Formats: sequence, C-alpha cells, structure tokens
Amino acid sequence: MPILEVRGLKVHYGTQEGTVRAVDGVDFTLNEGESLGLAGESGCGKTTAALAIMGLLPRNGRIAGGSIGYMGYDLASLSDAQLRGFRWKHISIIFQGAMNALNPVKRVGEQIAEPIVLHDKVDREAAARRVGELLELVGIPRDRASEYPHEFSGGMRQRVMIAMALACNPRIVIADEPVTALDVMIQAQILELLERLKRELGLSMILISHDLSVMAETCDTMAIMYAGKTVETGSVTDIFKAPNHPYTKDLIAAFPDIDGPATLPAYIPGLLPSLVDPPAGCRFHTRCKYAWSHCVDAEPPLLPVAEGHRSACHLNTSEPPSR
Amino acid sequence: MTREPYLVLRDFRVWFPKRRGFLEALRRGTPDYVRAVDGVDLDIGKGEVYCLVGESGCGKTTTGKGILRLVEPHSGDVFVGAPPAVLREYEAARTAHDEAKVESIRRRWSLSYKEHVRWSTGDVLRFLAAALAATAIGTGVTAALFAGLLAARATGAAFVASALAGIAVGVVGTIPPVKVRDRVPRYMMGFALIATVLGDLGGVAFARWAAGNSPRLDAVLAAAAALDPIGILVQIAAAVSTASFAAKRAIRYWRARIGIEADKLRKLRKTLQIIFQDPYESLNPKHSVFDIVSEPLVVNRLTKAPAETQARVRQALHDAGLRPPEDFLYRYPHELSGGQRQRVSIAGALVLEPDFIVADEPVSMLDVSIRTEIVELLLDLRDAKGLTYLFITHDLSLAWVLADRIGVMYLGKIVEQGPKAQVIRNPRHPYTKALLSVVPVPDPERRRQRIILRGERPDPAHIPAGCRFHPRCPVAFEACGWTAEEVLETLREIAAAGGGSAGFLQGASRDGPLAIRVPSAGPTDAWLRRARGDAPGPQGDPGDRDLGRFHQDRPARVRGADPPRGRPGHGGVVPPVLGGSLCGPGRVTSGSSWGPCLPGRGTRSRTWARCGSGT
Repeated sequence: MPILEVRGLKVHYGTQEGTVRAVDGVDFTLNEGESLGLAGESGCGKTTAALAIMGLLPRNGRIAGGSIGYMGYDLASLSDAQLRGFRWKHISIIFQGAMNALNPVKRVGEQIAEPIVLHDKVDREAAARRVGELLELVGIPRDRASEYPHEFSGGMRQRVMIAMALACNPRIVIADEPVTALDVMIQAQILELLERLKRELGLSMILISHDLSVMAETCDTMAIMYAGKTVETGSVTDIFKAPNHPYTKDLIAAFPDIDGPATLPAYIPGLLPSLVDPPAGCRFHTRCKYAWSHCVDAEPPLLPVAEGHRSACHLNTSEPPSR
Repeated sequence: MTREPYLVLRDFRVWFPKRRGFLEALRRGTPDYVRAVDGVDLDIGKGEVYCLVGESGCGKTTTGKGILRLVEPHSGDVFVGAPPAVLREYEAARTAHDEAKVESIRRRWSLSYKEHVRWSTGDVLRFLAAALAATAIGTGVTAALFAGLLAARATGAAFVASALAGIAVGVVGTIPPVKVRDRVPRYMMGFALIATVLGDLGGVAFARWAAGNSPRLDAVLAAAAALDPIGILVQIAAAVSTASFAAKRAIRYWRARIGIEADKLRKLRKTLQIIFQDPYESLNPKHSVFDIVSEPLVVNRLTKAPAETQARVRQALHDAGLRPPEDFLYRYPHELSGGQRQRVSIAGALVLEPDFIVADEPVSMLDVSIRTEIVELLLDLRDAKGLTYLFITHDLSLAWVLADRIGVMYLGKIVEQGPKAQVIRNPRHPYTKALLSVVPVPDPERRRQRIILRGERPDPAHIPAGCRFHPRCPVAFEACGWTAEEVLETLREIAAAGGGSAGFLQGASRDGPLAIRVPSAGPTDAWLRRARGDAPGPQGDPGDRDLGRFHQDRPARVRGADPPRGRPGHGGVVPPVLGGSLCGPGRVTSGSSWGPCLPGRGTRSRTWARCGSGT
C-alpha cells in the first residue's frame, strides 16, 4: 500500500548563475513497511528531493511543481506551519554526515529531547525517559545521554542521529547517506540496525545512497536518478536483474563485484551535465552509448516496462536507426 | 610470479607519543604511545600493486605516510630498491642477532634510519668542567661585587637591581644561538642555566655573609665594587662559553643527522610519491594547475630553465590524462571536476618521475561512475612507466579487481596477506573473513551470511594483550588474550608435568625475552586443548612439526600479569605467523616456517595469517 507518492516533483534553486533545476521531475512511490532506495551520482538531486519532502529546503530553493502525496495531503502545497504538524511526527530524516550533523556544544540527550519537547508537548522528565528508551533502542547505553558528541565514535554518532529521527514515532524515516564515510564493519552494524528498526517499529524508509550495492542488500524498491530526474524505478530485483535504462546498466556495471571476476568494472565516460542549462531531450544522451537524434529531440517519459517496473528511455518505445 | 622486492618494510612502527603533563613525565620514564603502526612487515615487488585494506584508524594511511617520512617512523626499516643481496645479508644478520652488521646495513640502506650521535664520557666531563668553571667564576665575581656594594652601604634597591642583573646575565648567556632539538643538549643547557643562576644566588648569599661578618674589609670590597663592570663581563664570557659548548654539540648532532639523512630523503622524495585521498581538499585553491604540478620541480630545483619546467609539467598532465595540457595549465581547482582534480594530483606525483607511488584512497571521494577511469589510468601508468603501487583502500571489492596482492590490516598490524585470489577466496584470519562477509555486493539475490563484529576497534593507545583482535574475534578462546606471563606459566606447568620434549622451554627465562621454541606438536596441542576447554583435538596428521614460536612484540623483560599497555615491551602472545595458520585443528601448511613469517623468506608466494585459532 503506497504511503508516500511523489509525482513529477520539481525543485529549483535561484543562484547567481541562474536557476538550478536540481530536481526536475522525480517520481517514486514508497509502500508502507518497505524501504525505497534513491540512488544516483552526487549532484543528481537525491538530497534535494528528500529536503523537499521534509519541507526543509534552503531559502533559495522552492518547489516548482509536482506533488508529494501523503495520507491524502499534498505536502508540496502545504504551508510551512501546516508542514510542521507532519515533520518529525510523521516523516523524519537522518541527516547526511553523522560526523558533523550534531551540535558539538550540546549534550547528546538534549539534542534528542529537542524534537520530543517541541512536538509531543511533554515535560523534560518524560522527554528524558524517552531519550533513554531511544538510546537503548539503537544500542547505546542509557547513561551516555549526558555525553557530548565528541565522546562518541562515528558509528555511535550515526546511532544518535537515528535515535533522533525516531524521537516522535514517525511513520516514514528518510536516511540520507546513512553509511557513507563509515567503515564496512560499522556500515554493516548500522544497516543491520536500520533493518531491525524497520521490522520492529513498522517503519517505511527512504534510503538515499550513491552505493548501489548497499541498496541491493537493504531495499525493496529503488528509484534511480540522473541529473534531477527519475530514470528508472522498480523492485530491487528488477533493477539489478533486468535493468532497462542505459544509465542504470552503466551504473551497476561500474561497481566492482567481489564475487565476480577480478576485472576492472566499466565506467561512464563524460561528466554530469550542468543543472542550470540541462541538455535537451533525454538528459543522459550526452553520455549514453545508444543515443541517437531522437534522444536530443524529445524527453522520454517514465513508462512501465514490466509490472511495477518503469523506465524513461526511448529505446522502449521507438527503434534506433540501424547503423 | 616472484618479483624482485622493491619496497621492503621490516618491523615498521609509527608510534605517536601521547601528550602528558610535566609531573607525569617526571614520574614515568618512557612516554605512552599511540601505536598507530605496530610492526608491519611488507614486501612489494617491482611493478606490483599491493593493496592495504582495513578499517579507518587501522594504520593504513600512517603506514603510507611513514614510508615517505611524512610522519616520522618510530622504529623499523624501509628499504627502497635495495639490491636483493643486501636484503639477504640484512635478514641473515637479523636472524643471527649481529647488531653491528644490522646497524651498518640500516645506516647505508634503510630510509627510516635515524642517526644517533651519542655523548661520550669525555664530552660529558668537558661539559661539566666548563659549567663548573662558569659557575665558580660567576659566583666569585658576584660575591665580590655584592659584598662591595653592601660594604659601600648601597641602598636596598641597588642590591636588588644588581642581583637581578646577575641572574639575567646568567639566563641570557646560556641561551644557545641555535635551535636544538635533541634531548640531551637541551637538558645540558638547562643544567648550565641552573648552575649559573645558582652561582649568582650563591654570590648574593656569600656577599651577605661577608658583609655581616667582616665590616672591616670595607676598603677591599669597595675596590671589588669598582671592578663591577669587569665582573659582569667575565660572567658573560663564562656563560657564553658554556652555552656555546652545548650549541656546538647540537650543531655536530645536526650535521651528522642531516648529512646522512638529507641525501636519503632527497632520493626518497624523488622516487617515492603519494596521491592523497581527497582531491577536493588536497589541492591548494589559490594555486593554478601549473603551480601545483610544478611545485615539486621548483622545490627540488630539478629544472634549470622555465621552459624545461613547462615541458615537464605538460608531459605530466598529458600522462595523467589531462589532454591537451594547455587547456588545464592555468585553471584553478574549482574549475575542475572531481576526476580532473584527482588527475592533477596524479600529475603532481608523476612530475618527479617516481618509481613508487603510495595511492591513499585515490578514488574513494569520487563518483562510482568515474572511479574505474582513474584506476585504469593508474594501472596504465604502471605498465608504461614501471611504477609500483601501495594502494590504500577500505574497499575490498576494489582491492579484488585491482591488486596483485592484498594485506589486511588491523590495529597497526597486518593480520593476513597474500595473493588476492587467496585472501579473497580463501581467507584464513577471522578478521578477514568478517570483513569479506560484510562487503555489500550489487546483487539482491546473493545475500551472504554476514559476520558482524560487535563493538568498535580498540584504542591504539591501549592495544589488547595477546592477539590484538581477540576482544572482537568470533572464534577467540581464552588463550588468545593471555599475557606473556600467563603463557609462560602454562607452558611451565606442561613442562613440569612431563608434557614437553627436551629443550621445549629453552630460552623461556623470567628475565629474557619470551621466545619459546616448541619443537613438536605435542605440548602446544595440549596447551591449546586446555585453553579451549572442550574444543576438539587436532585434525589431520599432527606429525612432527614446528609449531612456531611464541614471542613478544619485541624482546623485553616479561612483566607481570597485567602489563602496562601501549608501551614498548608489553607482554602478550602475538600469534605467530606461519605459512598458513597455527595450531589445534588447523593445518600447518609450511613445516619449515618459523616465527613471524617474513614474506621475503621463501613464503612470499603463500598467504599467511596471524591467528591462533586455526582454520
């Protein structure tokens, strides 16, 4: 059952160079109790999309179109005051960069208690009890609530960030690069924790990462983004076993596989296009090995290629000219 | 394929002294260390790609930087391009404990060798004599001076001023004209300073006494007071001579050190280069690409004319794949993409035409879609220029596709190394197994049994006794964490019960280094069975084999059951490294390997692991 439906979301930033179309048509559906992976290279608009859902865009950013459907509301059209009712109590976020996202001069417990006091309107004591519960939930001893972030290791800080995101019993948690910059072993610990929490608390989760192999292990469905657009969505098995979009194929091929042959993976030549002046037609045509004139002329729509599997590529609808 | 070793590390350590207070320093002789790299043995063949993998904080980067002397190694040796004969000689001398021979080879070849200019007894005596003379002269003159002043019924203010002047002269006179780094001259100068000040104070005391007891000597003392300026001059001269003595010592020390080391370092910088992890941080934003790439040439004064510099920079940029170089020469880092920046870093390393490059996570900050491009470039450069790489990465999948050999590092030690196929496909050490089990694979259907280690790596300032991995090891048994003392006790018990064959406990004396030779399977198996409790006995044919040698980290006295941690010579069984794994149900694949396997000693083609649990 869909809990969050993002349709044609567009987010634009006003900058000196012009309008940056950071997110320019993102589509995905998050089902209840599932995790959705939002994948793509850096600068493809993953984090911006997440911030737009949370209503936390920076001052120069605005939602320029599309809808974010949640429980019959369109979060994209709500005012800031209305959004405040949803933020953290319904949808919360684990911010990117656990190393720097905590306030270094406030005790960890206070930082976790902040949203509880703010949203649940409870007194300090009840909040402190809740903080203790949360810390134990993420595997940190209760009494460390009175310590400062610098006394925690990277993995522990990430656990604190997770506890903070769970503070108000949200239904959806967005995890923005939760394991980037962590060691493989700590990464495995955190992913295991997220999976356990999802199971125990019945959470729905959006996992943002550039690391497809992490998604392969933890997500149910995936949305691949390129230069602000969703190019392919589907179940994890669809994406990895039957990738449709050339970008998805190239991206998967770029990961070295420790179980596979010891050969260097492929790479995608060229650079990510500018988001101020994106290429016409399909955004990937500048780096795509199948591109032909049609790709420059028209933008491919996101169309179903199989049950629950959609892809935005002209190859699905028209024949390339034979060479 | 056996390659001629190009880079050889032996017992390489990088320890950082912990900061401590003055009183703490007085109380304890040796400082505590953070043992970032703690005894690494490494052989990298010419033209090889050696991948060092491990968690952050395990000492990978410190190893790389230590080889280049970007951080000072604590001990151990780095040989770069030393002839095989020299290396063989070195190994032989080390095995034979021929200290003088080892020292001479180290001095000539080891890049981490530090010159020590020791103080001879004569030096110390001469210094003391100079200091005493200065003190005596200072005391005498000052005494006369003050007594004279007092006798002349000088005011209190004059007395204080004069005393302060005396002390100031002593202090200023003893400040050496050069910055002295070595500890000993610094202590000696401190001593000279104290001596001079004490001399002055003594002079004041004497003056008081003299003035109090011999008021009749007024005339004599007044004459002494008249000599006041001369007295001060004499004192200055004495103090300066003392100080200059110490300074000369210091200069001699520096000359000796710099003379030998500077040559080696200069060679080092030309042949060894590093590519840093983060191209967004490691390039100076205020320098153009040309500035960045030409800097090594300028600093080392390698080019004679600007045109030559230009040509070499262009060539380096071209080699690094920035083509045509003219397009990039005068751009600034912010105008480049991540991949291009990393290419600039690579060009900066290439411009000196090095033989060996430490690549410190060169692609971890780059997008996946362009990583292979950079890795491919590095491999192409190896083929074109015969480069050798120490490739530092935390990504085992990357190591798998790119390395020739892989070393897995944990808490400052390499716990397993071997050809990549063996390390990845047939890991022996429990840590390697755990690491491999959690590597994410881009395939949702291939979910593996993950071995997730609990907790985090220990603090390298407090390295666990015994096998340093044992607190997190899923298969550890009690003995893995035993201290040297405990092992010794147990082995003694076995010996007393008649469990060991002759000579089994030789060399295991309380005062000597704990180096126990275990000539047959019997006693060790018994010990291990006991240690494991109900663990199964040895499988396979135990045969008559050498099971290894329990040794301490470095030869030192066996200490108590609770050894001071993070200090040299702390007790503990470091699992011996064999061509295979040690003991118990494990198989010893190399019957002739003894002690920590130095991969140059005929076992280089095999994988080895440090673990007591066997496989």
